[in-house]
Amino acid sequence: MKAFLPFLIIGVTTGAIYALAAMGLVLTYTTSGVFNFAHGAVGMLVTYLFYSLRVDAGWPTPLALALALLVVAPLLGVIIDRLLLTRLAGATTATYVVVSLSLLVAIQGGVIALYGAETRKLAPLFPTSTFRLSGVNVGWDQAIVVGIAVAAGLALAHFFSGTHLGLKTKAVVGDPELTELVGSDSRAITTISWVLGTVFAALSGILMAPVVGLDAVLLTLLVVQAFGAAVVGRLRSLPLTNLGAYGIAVVAALSTKYVANYRSLIGLPTALPFIVLFAVLIFSPKSAFVEVTERTDVRRLVDRPGVRGRRGAQYSRLGAVIAGAALLPLVLSGSRLLTATTTAAYVLVFASLGLLVGLSRQLSLCHAVFVVFGATTLSHLLSAGVPYPLALLLAAVTMVPVGAALAIPAIRLSGLFLALATFGFGVLAQYLLFNMGLAFGRDAVGVIPRPDVLNGDDAFFYFVLGVVALSLFLIETVRSTRLGRVLAAVADSPSGVQSVGINPTASRVMVFCLSAFFAALAGGLLGSLVRVVTPTSFDFFQSLLWVTVLVVAGARGFAGSIVAAVLLITVPAVFTSASVSEWQPVVFGISAILLARSPNGIVGLIRLPDFSRLTRGLEWRGEDRRLAERRARLVGEAAG
Amino acid sequence: MTLRLSGLRAGYGTTPVLHDVDLVVPPGRAVALLGANGAGKTTLLRTAMGLVKAWSGTVTLDGEAVTHRPVHDRVRRGMCLVPEGRGIFRQLTVRQNLAMQVDGRDVDRAIEVATEAFPLLGERLDQVAGTLSGGQQQMVAVARALVTEAKVVLADELSVGLAPIVVDEIFSAIDLLRSQGRSLLIVEQYVDRALAIADYVYILHKGRVAFVGEPGQCTSHEVFARYMGQVA
Repeated sequence: MKAFLPFLIIGVTTGAIYALAAMGLVLTYTTSGVFNFAHGAVGMLVTYLFYSLRVDAGWPTPLALALALLVVAPLLGVIIDRLLLTRLAGATTATYVVVSLSLLVAIQGGVIALYGAETRKLAPLFPTSTFRLSGVNVGWDQAIVVGIAVAAGLALAHFFSGTHLGLKTKAVVGDPELTELVGSDSRAITTISWVLGTVFAALSGILMAPVVGLDAVLLTLLVVQAFGAAVVGRLRSLPLTNLGAYGIAVVAALSTKYVANYRSLIGLPTALPFIVLFAVLIFSPKSAFVEVTERTDVRRLVDRPGVRGRRGAQYSRLGAVIAGAALLPLVLSGSRLLTATTTAAYVLVFASLGLLVGLSRQLSLCHAVFVVFGATTLSHLLSAGVPYPLALLLAAVTMVPVGAALAIPAIRLSGLFLALATFGFGVLAQYLLFNMGLAFGRDAVGVIPRPDVLNGDDAFFYFVLGVVALSLFLIETVRSTRLGRVLAAVADSPSGVQSVGINPTASRVMVFCLSAFFAALAGGLLGSLVRVVTPTSFDFFQSLLWVTVLVVAGARGFAGSIVAAVLLITVPAVFTSASVSEWQPVVFGISAILLARSPNGIVGLIRLPDFSRLTRGLEWRGEDRRLAERRARLVGEAAG
Repeated sequence: MTLRLSGLRAGYGTTPVLHDVDLVVPPGRAVALLGANGAGKTTLLRTAMGLVKAWSGTVTLDGEAVTHRPVHDRVRRGMCLVPEGRGIFRQLTVRQNLAMQVDGRDVDRAIEVATEAFPLLGERLDQVAGTLSGGQQQMVAVARALVTEAKVVLADELSVGLAPIVVDEIFSAIDLLRSQGRSLLIVEQYVDRALAIADYVYILHKGRVAFVGEPGQCTSHEVFARYMGQVA
């Protein structure tokens, strides 16, 4: 028993911090209806500012702490609410998810650009001397952290059940209009909710930093681990959220003792919150997860999700773009041609993501998993002696059942909860599955040799272009046929689709399978390009970034996929200045926030020439001529 | 308190709904607002309340313009709208609903007033309002107006979808509001009942006031004709 106690104490301390973070999440969600994916990033940002005040400016710790928690964090809450969310009034859940994800991407990118990516040490806030508890040393700092978390939990419980403001925050999320009608300023109440939420985020970030170090990615992620706890509380119940936080942290801490001997399980403790997140969402009764606010976007009524223009127009545009791209090797060579090849492969990544995000409006936040497994499966097949083209196809086909498996949460969950489940799956895949032999083999690296014919840069470019072109034509066909229409309709109203006798489940499974297939294909191409794939080639953060970039570019067609690939790959390759790649996530994040409600991102703002209209115009003119001739003949006959 | 709408124009997007509407609710009087579906009755109440932005024209309370004041401010100045549908916080209990209405002050008195008008609610104080029956939900909504100090009460289709016996209860609550000297602006589908309590009648047709007068000047048959726009 005594051997477990130190782990138990670590677990409880970590649990206290998870609890603080998760309570902040639940608080914001239940009072504003917005699940803030950027909760951790916000806490991280305030923690960095606290660091600047305390270390760089040399302020005394209590003063820096007070300024960070009582001024900076509340101000950030006001900014998020008044600057970002006010503009979104009436938007769908998916839009809110995209905006808070983009905020995460922007904040994390911005902090890394300003402070650098290296982990800094933050001196402890509280005395680290210890006292004995049942024969084990417990740090005072650990005890204080737990004390703060418990006190904050009790204060929050009192806020909700014992104060009128607490009641108002619950009322406003259910019905802001009625809240106005009873004479309360609904906007002010929502702002207060955000202020409280950001203060909780900041508090958990600041308490965590001395433990794990000051690291933009780690701090964002550690609060993200609170998602699991929040989901245990069904995003509503504070006691259950606390239970989840302590439970997850204690089990994770105890399991570190066991997994030390098993290399493939080394990621288990880290992945545990996400296993919980994924499992709770999958196995809970469907009714357990209902959003606090029903959102239907009025603007959606005027914004048609399907294909604009006729199918012919899309095909001829696509053909023109592919033909143009085919000329690139004439003008590009060396690393520039490699960039062009990478861009082409990424077009397919985005097009496959677009099937989910743009067409069926299901937010999948684990797209990188398909891409990675596409590459590793290709590597395995090649080492088993399968010929390259067949191996590439088989690798993509292998991902179809994985896509179907992931469609299970998609059938049961919608909007926010699907996003959370796929997010959980993405992270747990990275921590758990990537470490297993089936992914990268014993050396944590997958080698992907190309056949001799494709070894040249030109040859491989044409191969990639060919595969991507064929895939894009297929995807465009899916969009404009029955499946595409059904998916767009399901996105609008699942019950409406059922009422005309169509089973929405089948089409949802189908689109996940298709998306996985094409993503794996793109993964195979990207892996072949650099001839190796490693667990760090595409981490889960890429999945988030891709959604953000796709929303910026436009998720509703191949044009958006091309623009997205160019923005993500070509731009930093052309403008090689370090600041371009550093600030890129920030620009993407902010642009996505600005464009979140534009139906088709940047592409939606531009009108492409409609080539088919041109030819149709000729047809009309031809018809006119025939009519004129006929009229002349008739007039002639009449006169004759 | 006098509610006066002058030259009010409003609509949704670019579609106009109200065209130059003039309407007065004198102090302590009841005004019935009648009209066919789509005539603009609800829009008129919502514009008066500030839920729909007025394109032009003014809304005044005792001569003071509130046209550009936010909704909650108009409430604090003495207006109360019982909206279409069930105007309650569905996820809060009955008690919490009443507490919201009086902003947490003197909740006990609010409960007393509400249960006096609707004794049934007394047994349901700690029930989540969304789980009440339709009639009970509407009682909570009407009780909201009773427990406030509001001097002008706007009521939108309070009797829709309710059993006749519940409609009686709702109308006796409206009588109570009237006897307390509050000004009332009532949109109602039961024309006869509306005419019975109203001091003045306005008929809206396609967003314009088609008739103003006293209930004695028009029978429900005439009202029906005006609904259809058959009388200019």
